[in-house]
Parts: sequence; structure tokens; C-alpha cells
Amino acid sequence: MSDSLYTQRTREEYDTIFRQCISLNTELHKLVPLAKQMHLLSSNAVSSAARAGSEGDAFRVLTQDIQLLGDDVSVCISDTQKIISDIVTLASKLTRLFTSFVLFNNVLSHFENQKMVTSAKFFEQGQKKIMDEIRDNNQKLSRSIGVLVNLLSPISTLVKKGEYLAVCSSVEAASSGEYGVSFEAVASMLRELVGLLGEQSSRQKSLLRDLSEAMEIQQNNQRNLLYAR
Amino acid sequence: MRVEHLYKKGTHSWMVMGRDEDRRSEVIDTNQYLIQHNGRGLLLDPGGVENFAVVAAEFSKHFDLANVEAVFASHQDPDVISSLSLWIQTNPKLLVYVPKIWVSFITHFGVKLENIRPIPDEGGMITLGGHDLEVIPAHYLHSSGNLSLYDPQTKIFFSGDIGAALLPDDYTDLFVTDFNKHTQYMEYFHRRWMPSNTAKLSWIAQVRKRDVEMLCPQHGAIFKGKDVERFLTWFENLDVGSGWSSVK
Repeated sequence: MSDSLYTQRTREEYDTIFRQCISLNTELHKLVPLAKQMHLLSSNAVSSAARAGSEGDAFRVLTQDIQLLGDDVSVCISDTQKIISDIVTLASKLTRLFTSFVLFNNVLSHFENQKMVTSAKFFEQGQKKIMDEIRDNNQKLSRSIGVLVNLLSPISTLVKKGEYLAVCSSVEAASSGEYGVSFEAVASMLRELVGLLGEQSSRQKSLLRDLSEAMEIQQNNQRNLLYAR
Repeated sequence: MRVEHLYKKGTHSWMVMGRDEDRRSEVIDTNQYLIQHNGRGLLLDPGGVENFAVVAAEFSKHFDLANVEAVFASHQDPDVISSLSLWIQTNPKLLVYVPKIWVSFITHFGVKLENIRPIPDEGGMITLGGHDLEVIPAHYLHSSGNLSLYDPQTKIFFSGDIGAALLPDDYTDLFVTDFNKHTQYMEYFHRRWMPSNTAKLSWIAQVRKRDVEMLCPQHGAIFKGKDVERFLTWFENLDVGSGWSSVK
């Protein structure tokens, strides 16, 4: 494959990575209101248990777990917000750096079969610095994606925990007489929230998988581009 | 592509590069200038990212660009200076002379503060290989922080966007050959881009205090000899800041 074809493919891959990072950022931001709703739900659950007095003792135990679940979801989501912001910045920087790399290629193409006063090495040094920055930022991006995967991995466990707590809350609601209605409302809301969290989580997993694949293709193209040179 | 020496005597020279017929049609044509003195180089308005490769390659045929120690930016526009980060990659110690008010804006082009030499509003001097060049304020012509540069030895005055012309593709001359005809390419640009008649008159007075043999804009053709005064008179009489059709 020719140098220019590798260049074109690598450029396309960088554009793809950047777009995927933006999509992932958008999806991850959708988790923020879910964390807030989860927090609100745990407060409602505590109030419902308190209103029921001694009849709400068993439900109160569940509300403590719902609160813990809300806290865990909040922590997980706030950690992902910082790392996704770094990922988008790195992807944008890589696109810009690769454009500079190509511009130096263009300068050097003028040096072929031309008598120049400036040595080609002068521009090759500039290009090498850009290449080093690209490598460095590529590594940072791969690492950040790895961190994000780790940060998101507990979400599926939290979803399962939420589903379990929703079932337990419904069971408790069924045996709580007049307070059962408000306990069931909590259970139903919890089921809905963890359902949404589960959907978001699987969408993000799929985006992350695509992003990791694109990173791998891009790194292969880049190696080939350097080898071709 | 035209590359010509405007002046060459001993170890001192001025070169201009312009009329890049291979540029994309939507990209405005720009003139880039390279001053050399005692083997040291200064690039004036080195241009945008779009023409970096051509500027670098063309000037490389005539001068070792490893000896370019500084860049002068008349103002902050992308066609003037957006290639800056690429020049810095080739020489991390490159000095960048810019109007003081644009420092924190120009850093968006990827340049670090340690490279920047801010020029105060009142102008000053730049020394290149022991040769002094005068920096003259040209604020509001068109940018709110705008500078011109004058070389007393060669009597060449670099005017940035002042004197710029939007030339048709078949205009290949580097110099103005018929001033009266040339005004048609300048009028709209100056009426629209230049906002202040007061600033205009102040700048013209500064230019007239100097012995100017060539007036070199960043776009269009260069004024030489009597065309310099012809331009100043034409500009003096032009009502600038009036290029928008709704301005009465």
C-alpha cells in the first residue's frame, strides 16, 4: 500500500476515533440525570419508611441499600465525566497532530529531486517531534480508554443489585398493608431507573468496543505509515 | 508561484513569495516576506496552515530556514499566522513578535509564551543579526492590534493588510503597474476591512515621515517608487469603515 493511502486511512481513522469519543461523551452525559434521580429516589424511600413507623422497619433496611446503591452510581458516574473529558481532548489533539504530520510530509515531498538550501533534516526533525507527540498521546488515549472501561464495569453489577432491591421492595410492599402503595411506587421507580441505567451501560459498552477497535486499526495504520516511510 | 528578491546587497536581503496559483480557490492569496541579515532570517506574516508546505519549500530553495530566528505577525488573523505551531516544531526557540494585545489569542495557535515577544502599542525596534528594523503602530488598520515594519536600509515598508488588493487569478504581476486600474481591486477591501479614518490618517502621517521606496502589503501587488505616494493619497481620501452597504 502506498504512503499516501496509509496517510489517508490513518487520517480517516483519527476522524472516526474523534467522532466516537464525542458520541461516548454524549452518552455518558446522559448518566448524570440518572444519578440525580437515583439520589432523589433514595430520599423518597427513606421518607416512605419513616411515614410507615414500625410497620416500615423491614422496608427501612432496604432503603439503606437503595441509598448505598445511589451513592455507588453517583461516584461511578462522576469519575467517568472527568476521564471522558480527557479522552475527547486527547482525540482532538491527535487529529490536529496528524494534520501537522501530513503537512510536514507535503513540505518534504517538495524536496524530492529539488536543489534546496535548507536541509530536509530540518523539517524531518520537526516531523519527528510531532510523531513523538502522536505516540505519547496515543498511549495516553489507550490508557484513558482502559480506565474508562474499568470505571464503567461496576455498572452492570449495580444494575443487578438495583433489580434485586426492586424485587425485594415489591415483596415488602405486598405485605405492608396501607403503606404498600408508597413502597411499591419506590420499587417501580427503582426498576425503571436501573432499567435505564442498564440500557445506557450496554450502549456505552458497545461504543467503547468500537472505539477500542478503531484505536487498534489506527495504530496498525500508523505503524505501516512509518514503515512505508 | 512567484519568489523574488526585492532587495539584495551584501549580507542583507528581502524576498517575497506570492501568487500561489496551486492554492485552493477558496483560500485568499497571501504574500510572505523573508528578511535576511548576516545569515539570520526573519519571516513576516508567514501565512496560514494551508500554505505552510509551499512557503517552507519555496523559501528553502533560497535560504537555510534553520537560520530563521524570528517571525513577525502584523496581526492575529489565520492567513497571517496560523502556521505558527508548525514553524515552532522546526525551531522550538523561534521568537514570535506580535502586537501585545493578541498574545493570549495567538497562543491558541499552539505557541508557548516563552516564544512570544509582545510589541507594545507604541511600536518599537526588532534587531535581526545586528540590523535594526522599525515597528510602527497600525492599529485599527484593520485589526485593533496591528503593526507595520520599516527597514531604513532598504526603504522597504511592510504594511500588512494596508494596501492589500483582492486580485483576479490572471493578475500575476508582483508590482503595481497601473495604479488607477489597481484601485478597483483595493477599494472594497479598504472600505470594508479598515474601520477608522482617524487611525488611517495617523498611520499615513507616520509613513510620510519615512523615506519609502516600496510599500509591501500582505495581499496583492507591491507599490514601488511614485506609486507609494499615489497609494497614500488615494488612501487618505478614501472613506474607510463604509464598505457595508447599510452604512450611510
